[in-house]
Amino acid sequence: MTLPAQTAPAPTGPAPRPAGRRAGGPRPARRAGYLPYLVPGALIFIAVIAIPLAVNIGISFTRWDGVGTPDWVGIAQYRRLFADETFWRSSRNNLALILAMAVIPAFLGLLLAGALFDVVAKRVGQRPANALRAAFYLPQVLPAAVAGIVWLWILHPDYGAANALLRFVGLDSFTQNWLGDESTALLSVMGVLVWIQIGYPVVIFMAGLQRVDPELYESAELDGASWWQKLWRITVPQIRPEIYVVMLTCTVAALKTFDKIYVLTRGGPGGATNVPAYFSWQNFFERSNVSYGAAIATVLTVIIVGLAVLFLRAQSKGEG
Amino acid sequence: MFTAGKGVRLLAVLAVATTVLAACSNDGDDGGGSAANSGPRELKLWHYEGPTSAMGVAWAEAIKEFQSSHPNVTVKFEEQSFEQIQKTAPMVLNSDDAPDLMEYNKGNATAGLLSKQGLLTDMTEEVTKRGWDRLLSENLQTTCKYDQRGIMGGDKWFGVPNYAEYIMVFYNKDMFAQQGLSVPTSFDQLVSAMDKFRQAGVTPLSVSGSEYAAHQILYQLALTKADRGWVDRYQRYTGKVDFHDSVWTYAANTFVEWVQKGYIDKQSTSITAEDMGTAFISGKFPMMISGSWWFGRLQKEITGFKWGSFLWPAQMSAASGGNIWVIPQGSKNKDLAYDFINITMQKQNQNLLGNNGGVPVAADPGAVTDAQSKELIENFNTLAGRDGLAFYPDWPAPGYYDVLVAATQKLINGSASPDQVLDEIAKPYEENLANLGG
Repeated sequence: MTLPAQTAPAPTGPAPRPAGRRAGGPRPARRAGYLPYLVPGALIFIAVIAIPLAVNIGISFTRWDGVGTPDWVGIAQYRRLFADETFWRSSRNNLALILAMAVIPAFLGLLLAGALFDVVAKRVGQRPANALRAAFYLPQVLPAAVAGIVWLWILHPDYGAANALLRFVGLDSFTQNWLGDESTALLSVMGVLVWIQIGYPVVIFMAGLQRVDPELYESAELDGASWWQKLWRITVPQIRPEIYVVMLTCTVAALKTFDKIYVLTRGGPGGATNVPAYFSWQNFFERSNVSYGAAIATVLTVIIVGLAVLFLRAQSKGEG
Repeated sequence: MFTAGKGVRLLAVLAVATTVLAACSNDGDDGGGSAANSGPRELKLWHYEGPTSAMGVAWAEAIKEFQSSHPNVTVKFEEQSFEQIQKTAPMVLNSDDAPDLMEYNKGNATAGLLSKQGLLTDMTEEVTKRGWDRLLSENLQTTCKYDQRGIMGGDKWFGVPNYAEYIMVFYNKDMFAQQGLSVPTSFDQLVSAMDKFRQAGVTPLSVSGSEYAAHQILYQLALTKADRGWVDRYQRYTGKVDFHDSVWTYAANTFVEWVQKGYIDKQSTSITAEDMGTAFISGKFPMMISGSWWFGRLQKEITGFKWGSFLWPAQMSAASGGNIWVIPQGSKNKDLAYDFINITMQKQNQNLLGNNGGVPVAADPGAVTDAQSKELIENFNTLAGRDGLAFYPDWPAPGYYDVLVAATQKLINGSASPDQVLDEIAKPYEENLANLGG
């Protein structure tokens, strides 16, 4: 693949105006111009995504325990998967995690970002607003394992801070076996996830708010709009791209959740907090049921890619 | 932003590059080969026992001894974690990075699986030649020998343990004295001791429900009604297992009763094994039903009270030979590996293990001097002497551990009835059995 040395890499984005050169130059050469720049990324993509994905899909059509020769069994693993109560239960749990990692943080993040940007920054000062923003973001910086262990302490039924606080204020009857009781485990995990996740939308939305023309707010104020109305009528439509980004990335993150579950509950008690990613890992590594784990991972990938495509479509429609 | 044309081109690039990568992924054969006997050699050894544990101490000494008897050999010891080996063993053993000798988990789902896949060396000849079969009692040999389906108790030796382990009751002597209780020797006495503690407002058992301890108690309860035939059917598939037979039903119902009576705290569902141990060590609970792997730690860390151990009051208890030495099929230094195992089976190394809180398989009874260690070893010998080694509940099927943890959590929380829980543990068991047959 030899290229004329003077060919400039084609800029990405909207069609550029050819500068200092006649339009309609040697098109094929111009097109090929960016290809060398794609090679490193493409190679990495192939090595860490394309090949493993292809192999994973291949394995999911076999019966294999990790060594030896896989036996081709067609769609038997998928048939088994769709009849597996644990898979459905873990998928339902995953919906709850999407709520806790995408929907609730996005909603709360919007309120918090609005409050920080509009109220705290303007009335108290920019510095306290920045400090608060950093504080909200802190859990995002902590490794999941560290945050998880701290929360394990807090939620420990015996010596945990949560129960100690309840006892201290005299609400002994409200003390819970937070992560050990099937009725509270998922809610507790969701609470931890909201705490971990909240900083991300706050930071993104605050960045988005900088972009919004202040005149819009000024004229709305002149028209007597309330804070709430301004939020819903101006802020939300104006930072819609940011909302899409947050919803997409957080939903994907929620579907991939593994680390938090691994540290907090290992899917327990009695499968009450199991999620497909953890379930897949269990089959891969603990049960030597590699092909079944691969089938779960494949289904998960299809769902994530499908959702991502839907989101991106909705977003480009919204922008168009 | 993303046009179809670009996508197609990208795909083409990926496709070309894939073939290139695939072409260079297969790197030649194992160069080097084994050195001649006289030249410098290396024995690559993996195990996952902590350096201060009984096995860690004894095996470190074995390495020293090996080095002095094999001056041309360097022992390259790489400490691994239990999880690391458990999760990656099949894949590592299939590669060039495999060690020459390693400690591995015994049982159908672990060593059995690897032996079936041809990843482990059949040691039968060396075992008889070196007389290890005479050192290990029949009971202990079960976990060393596997048949061609990878089921223990078979005909070929694939591993050798140099220690044993069993589940017992650790108890806080001071708390027993406060209640005027003596050491229970029967199941009824154990129950009435627990009642006494309940009346005094003390939860009698330190239990972990998020890890192994709770389901081991369930199994211990089953063992109070079980016989050898029952254990063999469950562990070695010698006959049909009925999960709703009187033994399992009794175990599940009694377990629930123990929760209702407060012998087992409902909160234990979220307690880890580590929490369970530290709670016992700190003197919060009078008893802990768990394995000899705790022994060394209790010896070192309990300072505030006197403690001891007694046998589970039944004919049998969860117990077996310890993890086994296995020699990966790909090892090029099998002769050295056998020599090393041999050192760990000798009296000297066995006595060292016994004096450090381990349960040796071939020690000199007189050479173990520490009183608590003596009690530990004598109890084991009693149990082994009455054919009481019943293995562990999670052995029969790969991944059964998670199933049992989840099922017992439901028993503790009361979110499923004993019958439902028994159905739940029956299903994966039977699936595995069908796989084995197929």
